[in-house]
Formats: sequence, structure tokens, C-alpha cells
Amino acid sequence: MLKFYFTRSMREIVGHLILIGIPVVIIAFFNFVFRDIFQPPGQLLPIPYLTVITVGFALTFQIYGASLSFEVLGADFFSSMRDRLMASPAEPRGLVVAIIGSGCLISFLQTLAVLLFSSIVLEADLGSLHLTIPIFMISVIVNQLLGTAILLLSRSTKVANSVITIYGSIVPMTVGLYFPLPDGAFVRVLSRYLSPMALANTAILGAMEGNLSVALSTTAVLAVIGIALFVVMRPLVRRLAS
Amino acid sequence: MIVEVEEVIKRFKDRLALDCLSLAVESGEVVGLLGPNGAGKTTSIRAIVGLLAVDEGTVSVFGKRQDGRNKEIKRRIGYVTQELTIYEEMSARANLEFFGGLYDLTGDRLRERVEAVAAVLGLDGRLDDRVNTYSGGMKRRLNIGCSLLHEPELVIMDEPTVGIDPQSRSFILEFVKQLAEGGTSVIYTSHYIEEVEAVASRIYIMDQGHMIASGTLPELIARIQGDSHILVDVRIASEDVRQQLRGIPDITDVVLEENQYHIVVPGGISVFDQIIPLLAPLTIVNINSKQPDLEDVFLTLTGKQLRDAV
Repeated sequence: MLKFYFTRSMREIVGHLILIGIPVVIIAFFNFVFRDIFQPPGQLLPIPYLTVITVGFALTFQIYGASLSFEVLGADFFSSMRDRLMASPAEPRGLVVAIIGSGCLISFLQTLAVLLFSSIVLEADLGSLHLTIPIFMISVIVNQLLGTAILLLSRSTKVANSVITIYGSIVPMTVGLYFPLPDGAFVRVLSRYLSPMALANTAILGAMEGNLSVALSTTAVLAVIGIALFVVMRPLVRRLAS
Repeated sequence: MIVEVEEVIKRFKDRLALDCLSLAVESGEVVGLLGPNGAGKTTSIRAIVGLLAVDEGTVSVFGKRQDGRNKEIKRRIGYVTQELTIYEEMSARANLEFFGGLYDLTGDRLRERVEAVAAVLGLDGRLDDRVNTYSGGMKRRLNIGCSLLHEPELVIMDEPTVGIDPQSRSFILEFVKQLAEGGTSVIYTSHYIEEVEAVASRIYIMDQGHMIASGTLPELIARIQGDSHILVDVRIASEDVRQQLRGIPDITDVVLEENQYHIVVPGGISVFDQIIPLLAPLTIVNINSKQPDLEDVFLTLTGKQLRDAV
């Protein structure tokens, strides 16, 4: 089943072009236009500007990548296809897990594509990938579960798309990806901890800086959010089958 | 008994979708559910498949109460949905393998079944093509095929020929007959009278959630006691012959218009052996006989023609 859903989602060429192509273009554009402002020549930052925006935009487009799961779920469970699936002895839970699993896999591959582009073409220093890749993966899972939970709560792909679009537009701003944030205790907490993207960003940049305690603690919180979403999904999936 | 529906009531808010519906399907028979859109056909079969809980009454399938959770029942049913429920961006093979997988078919067995179903439905030459390159008729056949991989004992088809060409329709109707000959029970819903007439050994006529009649086609026709109409064109007509025809006890009425006799007899009665000797001297040019059909049955029972009600 996972193979089928993976193949099916991989056929959405336009979606992949958007989720890989746009962040790649934006990263290249931001790097070209703003690098000298945020990182004047000769000045060394703990983490280079290009690396920061690469991580930031990779995480931002993981949010939009949540549609990989909920679009497929919507097409299967909020259409006439539901009758055919529910008439079969297959467990709806198994189908949902396969759909989310393939969504996670594809979104992760898209993230890798963005990171590879930045690393190879723009020569970004992505540091200790063995530490950061698992965090990217956890972030992918959280985003896919979040999108799916929104779909199952709203029971409308259109609503889920709108919510994710708004969420994906606002959250990167609160992390300080598009423009510098004013200094202050609340803003610091907001930008580092108050959203799954902020947590993932803090964890990845922490791992890159060698600050393992920050990386591990924020990753743990992110993982707890993932588990909580998984628990929330159980009654929602049961409702889907009823 | 394969399916037994007893006095089922289903409401959608204030609307009564099924009103004391009862029907039965015996092993190896093709049951036709006939009625206009909104008659309750799809609601009935969704209740039988277990996709819809009924408010009152009982639905039993294979002798067990249908509550939608019994996997053993699900394994024995093949459900062909009214809308196309196939993945058009995927190949037919991928579709068949996926839906076969839902019924626990794997490995060589799955591959064998995919090839067999594709061959029966005439899709074997294009199994690896994407479905969105198929014609409407091929998509319909694939839609049916996806429900047959697990060799169900009961196949439920909800308007399986909607929107396809006559050739594909004939193919599907022939296929339904073959299924029944192989011992599979079939529930076939349609608002096309000629389709139900062609495939069903027993017919249930529905309208507005009610089951208004059921039986074999001859039983239903006998029930309305419809008239047969015989139109005989002759070279030179005669009023005397009309009077003689009118004198035959089984004939209800005879109208002469120009050189055509319009003879009305009660349904199921043959008068040819009596009328031919009288008409032969006038040189018979043409004879047309119209027996009462399901359309007449529907018209008599509901007061409207099915094609108007759709």
C-alpha cells in the first residue's frame, strides 16, 4: 500500500516542482540580495546566513508539504472513493498510516533536494548532517500529522489547504525568516519555541552550532508534539471510518 | 439466501429515503433494482454493503446481520460504485493490484487475478497504460474489474453503465450474464429499463423509497394485465374483416385506419392463429406486435414513465 501511495503522490509533478523549485529559487534570491546585509563581507557569524535561510525555507516548505498527505486523504476519504475503500475489509487506519507514511517520505525527499541544491549549487555549509537530518525527519512527520489532523477535523480539503497556507505564511515570520524580529523576551521565546517550525529551527541550528543540549531538548519537545498529534489522530481516524 | 432486507427504514433528517423496504437475493440470481434517480436504489445497496446504518429493520448478508464491520462479509462482496472510483493517474495494473491488495491478495495469486480479470474485461492489451488515456467504456470496465479480483460471491453494481457508449454497455450486460452463469449473485441497479430487462432474473421496482413491485418480468407484466397491440398493414382493407376480427372473443378492440388494423388483445394471449386466416386474403404487407414491457409496468404502477421520472 505504501508503495502504491508513494507512486501515486510522486506523479504530482507540479506539486513537487512547487515544493522544491520555489524554496530553491527563494533561497538563491535571498542569498543574492540579503547576504551582504545580514553577513557583511569579512564578518563571521556562528552560522552563515545562507545556512540559516536554507534551514528556514526547507522547514517552511515542509509545512506546505503537509498537503501531500491530506490531499490524498481528502481524495480517498471525502469523495466517492470512500465507499469503495470502506466496502473492502482493509482497515481504514492502515490506509491512513500508509498515506501519511508516503507523504512523510516524499516531503523528506523534497527537503533533501532543497538541502542538496543549497549545498552543491550555492555551496552552503550544512554542518553535521547526521545530527540535523533526523530533526528534519521529525519535523516532516509533525507537519504531515498536523495537516492530516486539520483535514480530519475540518473534513474539507479546501479548509485544510487554507489553514495550512495561513499557518505556513505566518509561522516563518515569527521565526524571523523573512525579516529581523525586534528584540525582547517574548519575541525570543516565540521565535525559538512557540511553533513546531520554531522548535525544529532551534534544534537544527543548535545542532549546527554544537549546542547539543538545545538541539536535544527542542527535538524532544517536537517529538512530543508529534506523539500528541498521533494520539489525537486515533479518534479522528475512527470517526473517518464510521 | 444471500441477501435479506426486512422492513428497512432509513431517514436522512426529515426525508424518508427507504420506507419499509424488503427484498431478497437468492444464490446465483441477478436481481435488478429499477427506479428513477432518488428512488432509493443507491441507499438500499449502501445498506446492503454495510456503508450505511439503517434506522429500523434488518439487513442480513450471507445469513449474518450486516453492521458494516464484519470483514468476512466484506470479503465475499464486490461493490461496483456508480461513480468511477479508480485512480486515473495510475495504470490499470496498479489500480487492480491496489484493490486486490485491499482484499488480501498478494504475490503470484494477485498477479494471476489481475491478468484474468483484465482478460475477461478486454483490458489485457492496455494494462500498463495510464487510466486517463482510456475511453469512458474502458474506465467503466476497469471500475467493475477492481471489484472482481477477489472472486466475490455477491457482486453489487450501482448503475454501472452510466455515461458510456452502446457497445460498452452491451459488453457489460453480457458480462453480468456471464457472472450469473458462473454462479455469482448480482444486484444490478439501473434506471434504464432495457438493461434490467436484459440481465435480471428478478426485478424490484422502487420509487421514492418504496418498493412498489417485485417479481420476474412475466410476473410483473401479468400483474398489470397490460394489453398487447398488433398492427397489421394490408394492401386493401375491409370493414367486414374488421367486424369479423372484433368478433373473436380474445380481442378487446380493433381499429381500422387506412390500410392498417390496430388489434388490441390482453397481455400474454396469442391470437395470431385466428387473425391470420381472416387477414391473409387482404394481402398482408406488414405485421408488428408490441407486448407490454417493463416501461408499461412502471407507468401503470407509478403513473409516470421512467424516462420522465429520471
